[in-house]
Amino acid sequence: MGVRASATVLPGHQITVDDQRRLSVDELLPSKIMHPGDAEDAAHGLRLCDLTPAAVVVWGGGTQMRLGAPPRRYEIAFSTERMTRLLEYEPADLTCRVEAGMRLSDLQAALGAQGQRLPLDPPHPERATVGGMAAANSNGLGRARYGTVRDWVIGIAVAYPSGKVARAGGKVVKNVAGYDLMKLHVGAFGTLGVVAEVNLKVQAIPESEATVFGHFEAPTPAVAAGLQLARSYLAPSAAIVLDRRALWECGLTADWRWTLALKLEGYAREVEAARDQAGGIIRDAGGRSEGADLPPTFWDAARDWSAPDGDVVLLRAIAPIASIPTLSGALPPEASVIIQPAAGVVDLRVTPSSAAPTLQRLRSAAGDEGQVVVASAPPSVKSSLDVWGPPPSGFPIMRALKQALDPNGILNPGRFVGGI
Amino acid sequence: MDAADREQLLARLREVVGERYAFADPYEMRLYQYDASPETALPDIVVLPGASEEVARILKICADAKVPVTPRSGASSLAGGTVPVLGGVVITFARMDRILEIDTENLRAVVQPGVVNLALSQALKPHGYYYAPDPSSQGACTIGGNVATNAGGPHTLIYGVTVNHVTGLEVALPSGELVQVGGRKSAEAIGYDLTGLLVGSEGTMAVVTRIWVKIQPLPPVQKTLLAVYPDVATASNAVSAIVRTGILPAAIEMMDKLSIQAIEAASHAGYPLDAGAVLLLEVDGIPEVAQELGERMAKVCRENGASEVRIARNEQERQALWKGRKGAFSAMGRLSSDFYVMDGVVPRTKLPETLAKIDAISERTGFKICNVFHAGDGNLHPLVLFDAFQPGQYEAVLAIGDEILKLCADAGGSVTGEHGIGLEKRENIRYVFSDDDLEVMDRVRRVFDPHLLMNPGKVFPGKGLQPSALRYPPGYPRRQAAVVGGEDLWV
Repeated sequence: MGVRASATVLPGHQITVDDQRRLSVDELLPSKIMHPGDAEDAAHGLRLCDLTPAAVVVWGGGTQMRLGAPPRRYEIAFSTERMTRLLEYEPADLTCRVEAGMRLSDLQAALGAQGQRLPLDPPHPERATVGGMAAANSNGLGRARYGTVRDWVIGIAVAYPSGKVARAGGKVVKNVAGYDLMKLHVGAFGTLGVVAEVNLKVQAIPESEATVFGHFEAPTPAVAAGLQLARSYLAPSAAIVLDRRALWECGLTADWRWTLALKLEGYAREVEAARDQAGGIIRDAGGRSEGADLPPTFWDAARDWSAPDGDVVLLRAIAPIASIPTLSGALPPEASVIIQPAAGVVDLRVTPSSAAPTLQRLRSAAGDEGQVVVASAPPSVKSSLDVWGPPPSGFPIMRALKQALDPNGILNPGRFVGGI
Repeated sequence: MDAADREQLLARLREVVGERYAFADPYEMRLYQYDASPETALPDIVVLPGASEEVARILKICADAKVPVTPRSGASSLAGGTVPVLGGVVITFARMDRILEIDTENLRAVVQPGVVNLALSQALKPHGYYYAPDPSSQGACTIGGNVATNAGGPHTLIYGVTVNHVTGLEVALPSGELVQVGGRKSAEAIGYDLTGLLVGSEGTMAVVTRIWVKIQPLPPVQKTLLAVYPDVATASNAVSAIVRTGILPAAIEMMDKLSIQAIEAASHAGYPLDAGAVLLLEVDGIPEVAQELGERMAKVCRENGASEVRIARNEQERQALWKGRKGAFSAMGRLSSDFYVMDGVVPRTKLPETLAKIDAISERTGFKICNVFHAGDGNLHPLVLFDAFQPGQYEAVLAIGDEILKLCADAGGSVTGEHGIGLEKRENIRYVFSDDDLEVMDRVRRVFDPHLLMNPGKVFPGKGLQPSALRYPPGYPRRQAAVVGGEDLWV
């Protein structure tokens, strides 16, 4: 398995120097570019790469390209930029079918015109594509309430190195025909095939929305209040705990050290009741509650915070929610932090020099069921870190799946967990 | 399987589970030849493991002997998912029926596959939580079976199906390994989502031995409405109208005239006998919201042709309304000695035309067809009534089922919404998937099960043949053909 060096001519189009730089991954530059026009075209292109064989890195909007181990090889930049159509959308069915390269913000605009939305909020929706969101399992702050990408994808068309397009799922919201290959491709980082089309469930935009802030001096009571809300019936649609620096990075200044920010969504009376409940829980936890008069950019900034653009190192810990208080206590003081207690996710921005020791400390604090990944880092730092951590249980099956669907190992070689 | 091979295999399995829990007596095994589908086939051996490790050892023994394995639990499959169509060993989970952990702090429960769906929610109730997927057979079906079929239920409209509530699995592989996959108590996991892949794979890849599920707080109040319509088309349009308002009810169920008559005869749910169709709608929430949404939905129902809307005034009335719906399939006995239930799905907006076409099939063929189904998500359950003792009727009904599934697929829908492909629909799967689609699925399956011993004869199509002529993979012991006949139907 694995792509071998080849003296043959690479498939694809000539690439400009600008595009080479734009589409570099961890300082590796592509030699050629492919930008297929549809799913069949994508499969045809992949077949050529497979025959060569040439290593392919799949590109959507590029918002998650800092995540993952450096590619072992990189010859073809495989971009979905020409696959941007909304293929089907029937508002009364609450479903749509989208080409992978469609920008998420464009999709949301089309849905919004009908009073609907996709309740997924991955970072940078103005650049992120639907296919990229699916491949990277890129989620935002609503994941505890609305679920993750896997919960909204009802069908998929995938281009494989065999040159075939194969579909799974369908266009209806309830469907158990055949294997749920949507789950396999969501979060696979394009290592098993190139996601070419995605069928999604959508929902009505909630009729009411509000934000509540709680001010705390320590992280633990803020996290505890967030967890208590998560376990209640009127769970917020987003609940995040930010330290002062993260809050500042999201555009707000504060006199207090920790902030619990809650986004409440639902029917008008539900939001009113949720606001009362949240105020009570914050006060009981020793915080000060405030109905925040926020700049409209706050929630967007908080959403984008976990996919930073510069040379920032971002670590992400995922753990059972009851261990989030313990994990919050193990954070280095110099890090800026956003915790999603109800989702069991802790994101930290750390300095390059402290990345390795912090990663190690978090991995031991996260326990048996926790995992810590390097979500973003400059190449110089990344090369010294174990980006994914130890392969998960069931890894031999994952490797065998990779072998079954991409036998020549041309798709994003080396980028994924365990060197897949 | 010849007698000597069977004796040898039985002895090896008894070493794993003990003398009592493996048997091959044809009389004792009669129970294990059928589920809630019409088809039957006798296994060679039945084994009842008591622990995950035993399941793994059983799989290894069977793989070494190249004997097919069919997992079985509540056996309420309507698609023949647990019928051991190629014989071999049936593994049944009657002894692995424990709730291992209720962890309200992490909003998780950990269960063995044999736990009955409703038993989990009952155990959670004192803690203020429940497990959301609620198939109509929830008093008999098990979480293991729910995982195998990715089971749904009336309330999946808002809360999603089984896969949305399972965060991790322990599975036994044909290699004899026991593997934990997924996030277990964490919501997310690194690596391929094997949990999501395995849920709904109908036992064709691995055998599930332990399940991590999400639990959620019980809704404070549930408001249940019954809306009465002159016909199914008007009721279907009302469903679309409700969805357009932006209200997403927890459930929208529809029953047509024939179903209402059967249900009333059986359970006196209080459905009006002169109605052409009724919608059963439910919203949940805090009291003031549930009240408001109930009223808003009632208004939409009236504006869209409902002659009457009743709101359950108390829990007793609510339970009565639901009892009618959940007992609908078994109530069909009032109308007919046998029925055949379909599980097609169409986009919500295609409900009126699809129901009209089904009606036309009924007219043309002379077979009565009842419709009782999850209207909110377009999941149809046409029930074709027939008499299995009349020669030719069963075959005619199968042909009707095939025609209905084809028209669901042609409407942009699916051939199964929650029952699974099983044995029943493995040819119909071609209506929704191409050879290329199926070829990828087959490659994925072989990663887990290279010798095709895991619940063989299910999910994948043959060459358009009937069960009695199923293609036997090389190396399989040939056995007597599966029997198709008028076994007891039970839902």
